[in-house]
Amino acid sequence: MASSLLRTLIPFDIYGGMKLTGKYFGKVLLQSNRGTKRTHIVVEYPETPVTLMPRYRGRLQMIKDEQGEIKCVCCLACEKICPTQVITIEKGKKEGRKTPYPTRYDFEMERCIFCEFCVESCGFDSIILNHQFELAAYNREDFSHGTEGVFQNMYDLTPVGHYSVASEE
Amino acid sequence: MFKTEEMEINLGPQHPSTHGVLRVKLHLDGETVTRCVPMIGYLHRGVEKICEDKTFFQGQVWTDRTDYVAAISNNLGWVEGVEKLFGITTPRRAHYIRTMLTELNRITSHLLWLGTHALDIGAMTVFLYAFREREEVLSIFEAFCGARLTTTAFRIGGLREDIPPGFEKQVRAFQARFLDCIEEYETLLTENRIWKKRTIGVAPLNAEDAIALGVTGPVLRAAGSSYDIRKAFPYAAYAEMDFDVPTQTAGDTYARYLVRLAEMRQSHRIVNQCLDGLPEGPVMAKLPKVLKSEVNEVYHAIEAPKGELGYYFIGEKGSQSPYRMHIRAPSFINLQALPKMTEGRLLADVIAAIGTLDVVLGEVDR
Ligand code: SF4
Ligand code: SF4
Repeated sequence: MASSLLRTLIPFDIYGGMKLTGKYFGKVLLQSNRGTKRTHIVVEYPETPVTLMPRYRGRLQMIKDEQGEIKCVCCLACEKICPTQVITIEKGKKEGRKTPYPTRYDFEMERCIFCEFCVESCGFDSIILNHQFELAAYNREDFSHGTEGVFQNMYDLTPVGHYSVASEE
Repeated sequence: MFKTEEMEINLGPQHPSTHGVLRVKLHLDGETVTRCVPMIGYLHRGVEKICEDKTFFQGQVWTDRTDYVAAISNNLGWVEGVEKLFGITTPRRAHYIRTMLTELNRITSHLLWLGTHALDIGAMTVFLYAFREREEVLSIFEAFCGARLTTTAFRIGGLREDIPPGFEKQVRAFQARFLDCIEEYETLLTENRIWKKRTIGVAPLNAEDAIALGVTGPVLRAAGSSYDIRKAFPYAAYAEMDFDVPTQTAGDTYARYLVRLAEMRQSHRIVNQCLDGLPEGPVMAKLPKVLKSEVNEVYHAIEAPKGELGYYFIGEKGSQSPYRMHIRAPSFINLQALPKMTEGRLLADVIAAIGTLDVVLGEVDR
């Protein structure tokens, strides 16, 4: 009874809370966040680039081998395993190539859920999920990726159109 | 003198304190709630139906999206349920890594609860501190599986890959800090007079009602029952872990807060034990190329951060997907306690009651 009365009269709880808040306030005030070493919790994206972990799952990308050839051999494993069925492959032939060649490899990113099942199922290491995460676009067509026609964007890291915040200077 | 009548109002579905698209129909007599009806279904996606035509392997991605705050617990429930259906034995190392990640996931879920619940009731500061630690744990998930929320972390039969290099160091760095961080939350809340006034005796639920309503998890344990599936029916590596089940007897919002904070401490202990006793060996069991099910049914329950999370599968002969899949979602069942907790009490306490139940609407509606 006496101790609870004392606690009501003397605001220990307020003192403790203010001390903690003051400690962090002072810390933030005295340190800058723009250096190479991260001192604040908040990342000043997009001015400061974010660091991604090596296993980060971003957009699907096709890999070419040393000769600049698509590594994919149309085994259709990725098409079959994809839970949202966003990969469409057309099997075909290319001159001077023994293995089948995908005449069409379409990837509709708007429905992809970045689960990496396709990469896991591919036994030829011909696709990866790259580290691209700024995947916003204004038009629906910009989400369609492929190897044919206007959508020859399966191979490189280019942002989806010009919608990357970092590139909007 | 004055003509009084009951008023019917809607709380939600776009109310910031309902944590998603929950609509609560309230009958008010002045400021007292006379009737409370939770209306659900705004986020229904038919996960159970979708999983019927996906294979067992593919179905896991939908479990990420039920309780998106505790995706790894949901992944664990799915893969262990399927393993039970097919009688697959998972390597011990995989069990340890799964246990560790699930416990870290419990920490993130409780941190999110702590931050948002305190924010609802009026304590702004703790939200910032809770998210600071949550961010760090999410980076751990990102290092392990490449995604922060929709993890799809495990595979049937084990794990996709072993832990990455530097992972143990990252977890240990977090573990070293985390107990001090809990102290900080306690400094801000446990003795805080406004917090205590706002939570003690608010939205009470006694053990008898909780059991009758099927409520599980911290809400049940705060009412005095020590039912915890990790102890009652051990799964993963919990049988080898040394931890306590924190309980309280008051059954009010403050007791639930204390239980959840104590649970975070226990999770911290379990993660340490997993790191110390991590066995060597493979992380993936030998599996047949395609999983074909028999006519067989399985119910597998795990202790998700919100309560008993059960996956129920019925197999179909020769099929690669379940004939029927059902999720016993803890949020959905815990939400039933809302009328019991709020009827006859003040309108402002409804916010505290929704917060303290820790419902995630993705899981309620599925
Ligand atoms: S990441 Fe998943 S959803 Fe996206 S294409 Fe690959 S398998 Fe399909
Ligand atoms: S799994 Fe690999 S090799 Fe097979 S079709 Fe897909 S990308 Fe090509």
